[in-house]
Formats: sequence, C-alpha cells, structure tokens
Amino acid sequence: MDLLLLLLIPLLAGLLLPLLPAGSPWVRRGALAAALLQLLDGLWLWQHPPAAISAGWLPQLGLRLELGLDGLTLPLVLLAALLTAMAVMASPVDQSRPRLFFALMLATNVGLIGAFLARNALLFLLAYELILIPTTLLVATWGGERRAGAAIRFLTYGAVSGVALLAAVLALGWLQPGGLNFSYAALADHNLTAEQQRWILALVLLAFGLKLPVVPLHGWQPITYSQAPTPVAMLMSGVVSKLGAYGLLRFGLEFLPDAWVAWSPWLAAVGAISAIYGALNAVVQLDMRRLVAYSSLGHMGMLLLALAAATPLSLQGVIAQMLAHGLIIALLFCLVGLIELRTGTCAIPELSGLLNPQRGLPFTLGLMLLALLAAAGVPGLAGFVAELLVFEGSWVAFPWPTLVCLLASGLTAVYAIRLFNRVGFGRLDNDRADWVSTSWGERTPALVLTALVLVAGLWPSLLTGFSETATAPLALRSSDAVTVIAMAPANLNSAQLPA
Amino acid sequence: MASILKTAASVGVFNTLLAAVDAAGLREALEGPGPFTVFAPVDDAFAALPPGTVQTLVDNPPQLARILKYHVLSGAHSREQLVAADNWDSLEGAPIPIRSKDPFEVKNATVVTADVVCDNGVVHVIDRVILPG
Amino acid sequence: MTATVASERIKAPLIPPSTHRYADVIHRLEAGGSMLPDTPENLKQIIGIYKAYAVPMDFYWRDLLYIAERVFLNPLPAFKYFISQEYLDRPNSYAGDQSQLRIWRGGEKAHPELLEFMERGEAGRMPKLLHHLWHDRVNMEFAEACMQAMLWHQGMGGRFNDYLESDAYKANADRAIKAYFKGNPLMLGLYALFPDMFLEQVRQLSTTANLGLFWEVMAPVFFEMSDIYDEGGFKGVPDAMDFLVNGIFAVAGRPIYHHVYIGDECYEIIPKSEGFNWLYEAALPYVEAVFYRTAPFRGTKSYNAQAGQVPADQADFHYGILYADVFPVGSAGIPPTLLMQDMLHFLPPYLKEIYREHKRGEEDELVQLGITFQRSMYNVTSAVIQALRCALLYPLDDTNPEHLMANRRFFEAQMDRFLRPEARLADIQSQDYR
Repeated sequence: MDLLLLLLIPLLAGLLLPLLPAGSPWVRRGALAAALLQLLDGLWLWQHPPAAISAGWLPQLGLRLELGLDGLTLPLVLLAALLTAMAVMASPVDQSRPRLFFALMLATNVGLIGAFLARNALLFLLAYELILIPTTLLVATWGGERRAGAAIRFLTYGAVSGVALLAAVLALGWLQPGGLNFSYAALADHNLTAEQQRWILALVLLAFGLKLPVVPLHGWQPITYSQAPTPVAMLMSGVVSKLGAYGLLRFGLEFLPDAWVAWSPWLAAVGAISAIYGALNAVVQLDMRRLVAYSSLGHMGMLLLALAAATPLSLQGVIAQMLAHGLIIALLFCLVGLIELRTGTCAIPELSGLLNPQRGLPFTLGLMLLALLAAAGVPGLAGFVAELLVFEGSWVAFPWPTLVCLLASGLTAVYAIRLFNRVGFGRLDNDRADWVSTSWGERTPALVLTALVLVAGLWPSLLTGFSETATAPLALRSSDAVTVIAMAPANLNSAQLPA
Repeated sequence: MASILKTAASVGVFNTLLAAVDAAGLREALEGPGPFTVFAPVDDAFAALPPGTVQTLVDNPPQLARILKYHVLSGAHSREQLVAADNWDSLEGAPIPIRSKDPFEVKNATVVTADVVCDNGVVHVIDRVILPG
Repeated sequence: MTATVASERIKAPLIPPSTHRYADVIHRLEAGGSMLPDTPENLKQIIGIYKAYAVPMDFYWRDLLYIAERVFLNPLPAFKYFISQEYLDRPNSYAGDQSQLRIWRGGEKAHPELLEFMERGEAGRMPKLLHHLWHDRVNMEFAEACMQAMLWHQGMGGRFNDYLESDAYKANADRAIKAYFKGNPLMLGLYALFPDMFLEQVRQLSTTANLGLFWEVMAPVFFEMSDIYDEGGFKGVPDAMDFLVNGIFAVAGRPIYHHVYIGDECYEIIPKSEGFNWLYEAALPYVEAVFYRTAPFRGTKSYNAQAGQVPADQADFHYGILYADVFPVGSAGIPPTLLMQDMLHFLPPYLKEIYREHKRGEEDELVQLGITFQRSMYNVTSAVIQALRCALLYPLDDTNPEHLMANRRFFEAQMDRFLRPEARLADIQSQDYR
C-alpha cells in the first residue's frame, strides 16, 4: 500500500485538479503539493523499505500488478518526484490553461513512477507508453514556435520506441519456459539461446536508444528539448531520458546478459560517438536550449559507455550519472527558461552582458556558471563524482571509448565557457535590457537544484549510497574486467535497499 | 602726441581698461618706448562680460596680465599692415586672427576706430574683449 | 522645442537651416538652449544630480589639494585619503564670507551631509580605518582617475603641460623634492639615480592640484544651483545652463598653481605668477579629458587595440561620460561606478522618487542615476560650448549673417564629435532613456 501511495498521490491530484475552478491559484499549488507529498513519501520509504506488491490484474495476458522498490529504483523515484516538484515551481505563475497543464505533468509523473516501480515487463510497457501521450501534448500545446513539428517528431520516435519495446517484451514473455510470464523475476532467470537474446536485444536497444537518446537515434531530441516549455524540458531531460538508461540496465544487462556482453564493444563505441557528437554540436549551437540539449546527448553517450562496460564501478557510475545529470540538466533548463522568460530569447548571438549587476540577470547567470561547471565535471560538484565513476569503471573494459568520452567531457568545459562568455560577459544590449530582475519565487527551483548539486558534489554517497548493493549483482564484468560474469544470477530480488 | 595710456585716458571710454592695466602692473611696461600695437576694448566691452569676470581677474594680477597681453602686439602696426596677414602673435603668446578686412574685425571683435597713432605705438579701439583660444 | 526654433527662424531668417544630423540640437543651441531638451523632468534630474555630485566633490577637491600640497611624494601614501582636519576645514575660496568673489551663497565649510557621511557611512559609526577598508567612504579613486586622464591626454589647450616640461618647473620641483626628502639618504639616492621618475610623480601631483582647484569652484556652483531650484528659481534647462555659463566666466581668471608645504615652508612648484587660468589650464582640459576622452574601462568589456577597437589617436578617444555606456555601472572595473556610488549617498528625495518609479526601482538606482549624470553632463558641456561661443565668437542675436554662420560652423563642429555611434546625444533627447 505504501508503494501504491507513490502512484495514487499524483494520480488523484491529476484527476482532481481539473475540477478546480479555472484561474484558481490552487491548481498550481495542488500540483506542487502532490509532487512534494510524493517526494516525502519516497523519503519515508527510503527509511522504511516497503514490501513488494504482487496482485493479479489481467492474468490471461500475464499482466500482474507487481510493484517493488529497490536500491536501483529508489533514487530514480526520488529524482522523478523532486524534478516534478521543481518543474511545477518553474512553471510561470500565470501558466496558461493551468488545469490541463498540471494534470498532464502529473500524468507524466504517474507514468514515470509506474515504470520505475514496475516489476512486471508488461506493466513497465504500459507505464512507458503512458508517458508518451502527456509529454507529446505538453510539447504540442505549450511549446515554442515550432512546437507542432517538435511534437510530431517526438511522437513518431516515441511510437517506434514503444513498438520495439512491445515486441521485445512480448518476445521475452512468450519465450518463458514456464509459459506466458512477464514478471521480472521470471525474465531474469531464463535460458534463451544466444540468437534469441541478440534479436531481443536489438529491439531493446532500438527502444531505449531512442529514449535516451544516442546517436543515430537522437533526431527528435534537440528540437523537442528546445521547443518544450521549460518545466516539460526539465522533466523530459531530467527523468524521462533516464528511463532509457534504466530500461537498458533492466532489459539489456539483467535480462539479456550474454548478448549484452557480446555487443558491448559496439555499444561502447556508440556511446563514445554520442558523447563526442553531442559535445561538438553543443560547441557550435547558437541557441541555449539546443546547446543544453546537445550537452545532454553527450552525457547520455557516457551513460551508454558505462552500461556497456558493466563493471561494478561503472554501474555505480550509471546510477550516479543518472542522478547527477538529472539534477544538472534540469537546473540548466530551468535557468535557460528563466533567461528566456526575461529576455524573450534563447539565441546566444542576441544575448550578452547578462552578468551586469544592475540591469542584467546576475543571480541567474551565477547559478548558470555553477551548473555549467557541474556539467563539465568540475570537482566539488555532482558531475565530477558521476563522471569519475563512469570513466574509472569503463576504462578497464573499453579504454579507447573512455578516452573519447574524456575528450568529450573536456569539450563540455569548452562550450560551457563559450556560452558563459557570450551570454554573461560583454556589453548588455541597452535597448533590450528592460526586464525586471527574477523574483525569489522564480529562483527557488534553481536554488534547490543548485544546493543538491553542491551537496552531492561534497557528499558523493548521496549519489552512490543507494545503489551500491543494488548494482553490484548486475555487473557483467569483474572490476578488473578480466572475467566476464555473464549469466550470473543477477536477480534484482537479491538487491537490497541500503540499511 | 602722447603715450598710449595717456591717449587712452584722455578719451574717457577706457576707464576699465586703464584700471585693469594698473591692477595687472602693466603700466610701466606700456609706458615704455615700445612700440606696441594695442587693441583697446571700450568700457562697454568689459561691462558685457558676465558678473564677476572682471573682479576675479583684478584680484589676480598675473592672470589679468595674461588676458591684457593678449590685446597687445609688439611693434606699431597700422590697419593696412594688419590686414595683410591672417594672424599676429600677441604678447601673451597666442595668435590674434584677423577675420575681416572690411569691416575690420580682429578675432570676434570689430575695430570701431583704427590707427590711433601715439608716441609709443598704435591703438585700435575694439568693441569686445578678446580672449585667447 | 520645435516651436521655439520655428519662431527663432521667423525672427531671424538670416541663415538657412542646418542640414547636420543633429540639426535640431544645433538650432536649439542657436536659440540659446542646451543639448539637453528643456523639459521639467530633465531640469529636475540634472539639478538633483548636481547636488548629489557637489557633496562628494566637496571632499574630492579638499583631499586632492591635501594630497598635492601635503602628502606630496610620500612613498607609501596609504593614508592619503585620510584628509587632515586642516584641509577638511579649509575654507572654500569661492564660497563663504571670506571669499573674494561672493556670488554663490554657500558656506565655506565642508558640507554637513558630507561630514555626516564621513562619520557614519552606510555601515554606521566605526573607526575611520574600517570605513576606508570597507569602501564605505567617498571614493577618491574616481577623482584620481579623472586626474590621470588629464595628465595622460595633454595637448588639450592651455599652457599647463608645456610648463610641466619646462626648466623652470624642473628647478622648482627639484627644490621641493630635495627639501621633502631632506635627511633621507635612501630616497635622495633614488632621486639621484632616477630623477625623471620623481619628476613625473611631481607632475602628477601638479595635475592633482590643478583638478582640486578646478573642483573647488564647481562644488559651490552646484550647491547654489540646487538651492536656487529648491527656492523655485530656474524656469527651465536653458536657465540652468546660463547659470553655468556665467559661473565659468566669473571664475575664468582664478589662478591655477601648485604649492607644496614641507614643514612650515611653502615651495611654489607652479607659482601663481605663471598666470595660469582656471578656464584655460583647468576647466577646458578637464572637460576634454574627462567628459570626452578618458580611457577604455577595464572590466566586463575588453578592447582589442590591434583590431582597431581603440583609436590610434588619443584625440579620438571617446570613453568619457558623454559616450559612456552607463549600463555596466556596478560591474567591477568600471570607474564611474565609484562616482555613482558616491552620488547615491546624497541623492535629494525628489530624485529617489523618480528612480523608484522607473525600471527596477531601487535595484538599479546606480544605472538610473548614471544616466541622469550623463544628461547633466551634456548640459554642463552645453554650457562650456556656449561659453566658448560667447568668448571666441558672436552673440546669438548678432545681425551679421557671416557671424551667425561662424557660430553655426562652431556648433556643427562641436556636434560632429557626437556623430560616432557611441555618443549618447541622441539617447538623451528622449525621456525613455533611463
């Protein structure tokens, strides 16, 4: 029941909000309250590990209501709840059509939490598909000028991803020796042939590669992130994309370990290419949102590298990077959104001198510098811990792709400094600088995220503590990468919550 | 014929100028053999200056002397000689431009009466105080 | 404005209208106006800022003279901004009953608001040293930056800089240097080794005295203007400008000198008898160096001299307040920030009111008052232009068309300096520039 509460809070709130009168301030407040309640519940569950839920739903289809929380999913649930709350806060006070907007945000949240909690592949699939609809609507209704194109592209890529995942899930379920069964416990304990594994892994890679995304499946990402309204971009880049990494971890590493090990050199290569491609593209972007989007693409490449390496350390890096990047990218989108809200543009060539202490946005730009440094992996901030784990964990398995990713990480500093130099320094455009400074209400989400980025940088166990015990059994290579531990009884049931 | 200063004193419209010459301690020099060419502003010219201008100068003889020296050339030059050149170096050091021959204009002042010949030079009466720069 | 210019042209159609880009401004100047449009708000803004400027200026001139005359060549002048009581109490030569020229009514003592601020600062009563270190004080650094601009640019009319290079000056400085370091073999030895270095320091101190003597006059002028405005005087911006024109003439003959006091003895490095005038040796070089030229700000904008972003010719420098981008005020390394900070402490209530009502209110007061300052300095520059026209050219109501054309050419030549894009002349024509 505790677990269900995580889902019920946003579900109920999402259903009730539209009943409030139009224009009521309680719509926004209600959405925020729901997200915060969910976060509190999550924190409570961290200290009081809940019992897994298993109940029949549509047994004919193999669909069971199986929910569970472990060290792998707990941090992701907390991240989702936190970023939902921050996204709601980051939405403008005079959000247009607030009832629909916040209901859709909460629907996205329900999908995310459902996907993370699911212990049944079919249930995961349902949640996964559920997310696509509200996010598409959010982009299509509240997005930027090119929102229609962005939404169509996002929907198309998302649909392909969904179909691929559907095929993979069905294949996994049907090929169970004991008959139709989608339970994770069963899926992890199969005896598929190498060829079967490869076919299914191809589908899984397509599904989650599109979601992360990685090159060359990223076609939807820059335009969608740049057109999505700020809160939606925060949520999509911060959590929805992490669902891709989580899916790879679950469906790839855990369910299809042999095929994963066989293909992992190629995956590492794709990860490295994504990292360098994203970073190089970020360097030349003329739009802040697109720059942040490409930066995200680069970091997703690093995630794929760490997943491919699958050493105990690199998998810790995966979780740490998911959390750190989730915080940092949401912070970046939040700040870019603030800048756009004030200046009316995200175009880098049109902006300069925003650090101007009297007429600029010095507070926002100050936080932005910190966020960019965190993204570049500067020690003392969250990004450093995550990237260090990723690189150290991957180096033993794939030194060359790791080196390429290191280079890409170096390029992060290049585009970070370039962006900051162009936008922060120089002459403030006198004709344009007519805006008022940001209010404390608008700054709050950025401040909270900044605080977490700082705290996680100084106290890294915030990023790794949850998952140490949870990721270790998933490792497919020993920490020196000499032994391949494929087919180890990597069963998440053995993964315990940290004491 | 009389000296420049005596001639000026006899006319009666150069009271301010003469007082200034005394205040600046230039009387002795101007009584000397010279010869000089003096552009002599009438009393009205001094009166046209904003209040305080003359007083500050009179209180500070070296500064006053500098302005007065700007009205003096060394050597006796008639109108005919003066209009032949564009600029004449004053005793102060800065040049005095001749802006117009007819009417005879020295810098931004108009010469009311030219060629008053004296013992030790020539006086040209002007209607404005001229200032260097 | 168009109405007055139109009537002026009907009255005096002696010369055709100007075709200059700033023809409107030129016609206004020919009608006896200022470069700053004559609006009640402009009048209020400039008078308010004159008052806020005069209070710190009352400190600047005293301390500049203190530095030039007393601190002199102190090799470690850490306390040069800690003005002595004698100089703080020094009676202003052009205000108070003891002054020779009694046309401005203010007292000869330091302004009470200045004394109160020196006592309390922003942070409250604490030892002087803490006020100093906390920068909770009058920022003399700004005054010294102005002095350095005057020293560095040179060649802006007057004979001051020529004299600094003359043998007479070197001999005077030499006597003072030797007297100042009497009994100090180290410094005397250094002086024997590097005489020019010491001479250059003395030149800087002479310029310091020059600027101090210049501002000693401007402070009572601005206080008087504020008082007249408070009493309901000044019908418009041209009145305020005319007051300045008269003031410039009234003290034009003030001697500019540099005396140094070593012990009880006075060393005349630049004696009054050199005949240096306030107008030629201080005011005009000051306007040129500080209003027009100065030097590029070091700070948020970097200039690449090799890419031609800084003019090759010093005369083309255009970093003064008339061209300044006031928006970065508040950033590190932008010198006027110090002045804006100084004026911020002494704003009259009616100016604070205006700032509260516009833009970010109290948050960007520094920028708003910077732009007010810019407006006010366009008015001061107008006064200088009109004074020069008055001194060197012809009355505005002259009936000789050639004289009027000479005036026109003069005004147009002055306006040519504002043709470069950085000039703010076009901006200040609108009240929306804040």
